[in-house]
Amino acid sequence: MAAAVELRDITKRFPGVVANDGVHFEAAEGEVHALLGENGAGKSTLSNILTGLYRPDGGEILLWGQPVSFASPRDALEAGIGMVHQHFRLVPPFTVAENVILGDHRGEGKKFMVHPRRIERRVAELGERYRIAVDPRARIWQLSIGEQQRVEILKALYREARILILDEPTAVLTPQEAESLFETLRVMAEEGRTIIFISHKLHEVKAVSDRVTVLRDGKTIDTVATADATPRSLASLMVGRDVSLAARVERGNEVGEPVLEIRSLWAQGDRGGDALRGIDLTLRAGEILAIAGVAGNGQRELAETITGMRTPTRGEIVLCGRRLRGGDAREAIRAGVAHVPEDRLHTGVAPSLPISSNVVLKSYRAGSVTRGPLLRLRLIRKYAAELIHRYDVRGGGPEVPARQLSGGNLQKVVLAREFEGSPRVLVVASPTRGLDVAAIETVHRYLREAAEGYVGVLLISEDLDEILALADRVAVIYEGAIVGERDARSATVDELGLLMAGASE
Amino acid sequence: MIRIERRLAQPRWLAVAVPLGSLAVAFGVMTVVLLATGHAPGHTFSRLLDTGFGSKAALNETLISATPLLFTGLCAAVAFRMQLFNIGGEGQLYAGAILGAGAGIVLGNHTGWLSVPAMIAAGAAGGAALALVPAILRAFFSTNEIITSLMLNYVGALVVNYLIFDSESYWRDTSSPTAKVFPQGKNLPDAASWPVAHTTGFYVPFGLLLGIVIAAGIWLLYTRTRFGFEVQVIGDSPRAATYAGMRTRRKILAVMALSGAIAGIGGASQDGDFRHTLDPRGLTAAGYGYAGIVIAALARYNPFAVCLIAFLLGGLQNAGFALQGADFPSGLVGVMQGVILFCVLGGEVLMRYRIRFRRTARTSEATA
Amino acid sequence: MLLAAGGINNSIIVVVLASAVAYGTPLLYAALGELLAERSGVLNLGVEGMMLVGAVMGFWAVQRTDSLLLAIVVAAVAGGAMALIHAFLVVTLRANQIVSGLALTIFAGAAGLSSYLGNDLNVAGQPAKHAFGAFLPHSWQSAKVVGPILLAHSELVFASWVCVALVAVYLGRTRLGLNLRAVGESPAAADAMGINVAAYRYAHTIVGGAFAGVGGATFTLSITPQWVDGITGGAGWIAIALVIFAFWRPTLCLVGAYFFGAFSGIPFTFQARGILSGVPPELFQSLPYVMTVVVLVLVSSAGARRRLGAPASLGTPYVREER
Repeated sequence: MAAAVELRDITKRFPGVVANDGVHFEAAEGEVHALLGENGAGKSTLSNILTGLYRPDGGEILLWGQPVSFASPRDALEAGIGMVHQHFRLVPPFTVAENVILGDHRGEGKKFMVHPRRIERRVAELGERYRIAVDPRARIWQLSIGEQQRVEILKALYREARILILDEPTAVLTPQEAESLFETLRVMAEEGRTIIFISHKLHEVKAVSDRVTVLRDGKTIDTVATADATPRSLASLMVGRDVSLAARVERGNEVGEPVLEIRSLWAQGDRGGDALRGIDLTLRAGEILAIAGVAGNGQRELAETITGMRTPTRGEIVLCGRRLRGGDAREAIRAGVAHVPEDRLHTGVAPSLPISSNVVLKSYRAGSVTRGPLLRLRLIRKYAAELIHRYDVRGGGPEVPARQLSGGNLQKVVLAREFEGSPRVLVVASPTRGLDVAAIETVHRYLREAAEGYVGVLLISEDLDEILALADRVAVIYEGAIVGERDARSATVDELGLLMAGASE
Repeated sequence: MIRIERRLAQPRWLAVAVPLGSLAVAFGVMTVVLLATGHAPGHTFSRLLDTGFGSKAALNETLISATPLLFTGLCAAVAFRMQLFNIGGEGQLYAGAILGAGAGIVLGNHTGWLSVPAMIAAGAAGGAALALVPAILRAFFSTNEIITSLMLNYVGALVVNYLIFDSESYWRDTSSPTAKVFPQGKNLPDAASWPVAHTTGFYVPFGLLLGIVIAAGIWLLYTRTRFGFEVQVIGDSPRAATYAGMRTRRKILAVMALSGAIAGIGGASQDGDFRHTLDPRGLTAAGYGYAGIVIAALARYNPFAVCLIAFLLGGLQNAGFALQGADFPSGLVGVMQGVILFCVLGGEVLMRYRIRFRRTARTSEATA
Repeated sequence: MLLAAGGINNSIIVVVLASAVAYGTPLLYAALGELLAERSGVLNLGVEGMMLVGAVMGFWAVQRTDSLLLAIVVAAVAGGAMALIHAFLVVTLRANQIVSGLALTIFAGAAGLSSYLGNDLNVAGQPAKHAFGAFLPHSWQSAKVVGPILLAHSELVFASWVCVALVAVYLGRTRLGLNLRAVGESPAAADAMGINVAAYRYAHTIVGGAFAGVGGATFTLSITPQWVDGITGGAGWIAIALVIFAFWRPTLCLVGAYFFGAFSGIPFTFQARGILSGVPPELFQSLPYVMTVVVLVLVSSAGARRRLGAPASLGTPYVREER
């Protein structure tokens, strides 16, 4: 099998970081080749270079033995490279057909006027053939995330991509949907296409790929045949040291009184319609209750409603026996609810303001940092410095703007602030998204410590591995309602996966 | 190949070098514009400089021109700082002038010097009230404040005109015989004239001093108080502000009211310091409100920088008016302000990004 | 009172509607232009300035060359040149779009470049040598109702209808229009599909300026027709509001432009007829502005819940290599 794509000695620098450092990578026709590495290893950067979004600072790209240079994504598309991004590049108000044909120069795209019916027919054909059917007339915002991903794949197939790159495709799928995706990929590989599968999940890499290339800190570590590797060997290549994979640590602390009770909670979503449909939950002091589910089933709205950022339309939120009015973040904060939001950069902090400001984002009204209406700025700065030291935040001092911190360090700042408020309930949403292994371990440690300190932790996450490693109980949310609860010690991935896909009890 | 990359940190010297560099570029552009339209640049600039700053008399005139600009500049800066684009400083100034003149006329004859603080308060109230309209619409109806505040400028101008030219209002002078034919505003009683500080040949209007005190107050408010902290957070990230439990709606109302109040005091100052009557023609022709926006943008919303730039732009305005005539291009002031603003805006890119020139390291040729 | 002496064509309603079309035309041109720019994601608040520059340059051109066609071309080029400044600042240099647009208004507006040019080129105080006016046969123009409202207008008015149709077809049915909408809704998606986001933004901002220039020239070459400093009187700002009112759709721009045009025309018509003469003229003159606010409030509170049509990337610069 000839090498379809080869990257030689690719280097890419950004201000302050070398994302790719002399990377070597090569994939053959008809192969499913996984690109493995933890968050921040340089996988996305590499794929962006391959698709023409970034230009490398050094090195060569060769397609079927010929050197190529991409000035823009258009060149890469014309060369036969298609990509399914982690964050979909779709236009929400457009139909599936319009998204598929966007920017295309061949065939239908060449015409000045657009004839939607012909495109829709072709899209339907492709969907049939690869078993990823979507209604070509549907608008993107109407589709589920899994269906949107299919549109991304259809875009590439419509362009007759010979090389298809998928960036963390299963992050938004149920385990069963992921299986179905792997099937599709195998069919495409058998046709002679080259599939490059980017992931940080070991069992997926084992399940779908023929070969694996491991990246770490922007460098190529090794390329192995999947059959010869074990999850443990891959993990140690990924992280650079021997890793024990049995990640669950029993805490063994007592679980106390209920600190958060949610009864028949209903709330509206951003586009009208109900995002929460009668949620019932009880969270006790000292326990970690996880909410599992595929993104878009109401998790964000649940976190926002509990923490007062969204007004419920029906139902009750009771905190330590006291009923909350709802819809008022200040009330929730005063009642002892801490919140580590999903979007840490744009919601959890004021990005342009320094760390010292962000550390008192909620507590600036407290008597300890104010003198009447005035703020005691020096005191605040000292407090920030102390927290930076205690939580080992790297990347600068108290005057550094929050946006300059790396994901892990930013999360530490948010956690530090939330813990310092002595909360009764801690709501964390996707706390380790985009973090490297070391940061993930740190965050998990803090969450366990919080539970040991008798805080009730509500962990909302799309990562089943994380949930099974940390939680005491798991509740699965589907289309705004809780469809099942399990003890996390005994739950299986399959069981949870079925619930996440909507299979009722 | 030119690459633009985001800067990680901003070196201190940049904050000074970039504005200065932009000004230099602006002067270069102005030179070209003047040459292209047949005016001698050197001559024009030197006349501007002279008429604006060249003598004590010129400087006194400049202080007079700078006073309203200081108020409208602060008005814009206070609001823009929180991403509230209050374009209504013009109308808010008119509202302040109306109420301020009214207070002056009513109280001037009865309460003597008390009429001055009364005018200030009335002016502030007028400006704040007008500003609350776009504020309420924004806070409760999510209506964009740019257009609404702007539309009220036109309405405000019409109201001021109406009061003097098309009605028998309290503000109109009906006493003198000419007044029946040529409408004009009632003169404010002497007691309602604002004091002037007189030292070494300089006449410093009370309004200017008041404006500087307000600037200092704003600085304190925004950098040292809880109110200011909330303004900073809301301006940077409204979502983070909601997350932190801040009362965004109340802040919008408060900040807009403050902004309008400052412009309104500027209007009262026009009555009390300089015109001593409600003067629609003069006020509407001057365009103080719009100039204030330019000043605020150039000052990056820092109150002290607003003072400085108001002074400089005041000199420019003063010179522009004084030199108006057959041999001096009218509209030059607007053009210069625009060019300076463009260059400063363009220069800002250098503050956030770095421009790198680099040679392609690869030897392969583009084939796609 | 409605059917005054002189037949139905002289009635209040017909006269007001006819003037609505006449006064609404500059608004329509400017709004169409701004619509194109905003569909690409660029907010250009400098419409008033661009209209004024177009007005003065168009007027100067007709005085110098006796050619109305050339005058329109000159007005369009002038408006486009102003827009180019804004495009350069916000697309290439990523400046704040709001401040840049305001700077353009100050630079080009009534106390700026348009005034500078108007006085330097000595175009004040003289009537236009040629002007656009009603040109269809008189019998057509005096047809009942339809005549004054639809037929007794200049080429500029008819051309504006053609423009509305062209823009509507462009946006809805052509490949370029699809790409444009993608650029405005989701520049990241458009970029990933090989569309040159910057090029589309430049092109449509400049074309927007050209339209605004023609809109301004409508004042000096048709409505007045004379040049006075600041002749547009805030029409540029109303045009910006108009785009929002029209949910970024060309056909609704037409409706809205005439709606606002009616309010501009009412003061003169009522005054000429002695209707409501006790009411100060300023009250009528303030109607367009007040109506703009009212309409905006109605549109915003509905639109806030269902994002009705505002291009999602409006106002934000697009940077590909953002980390």
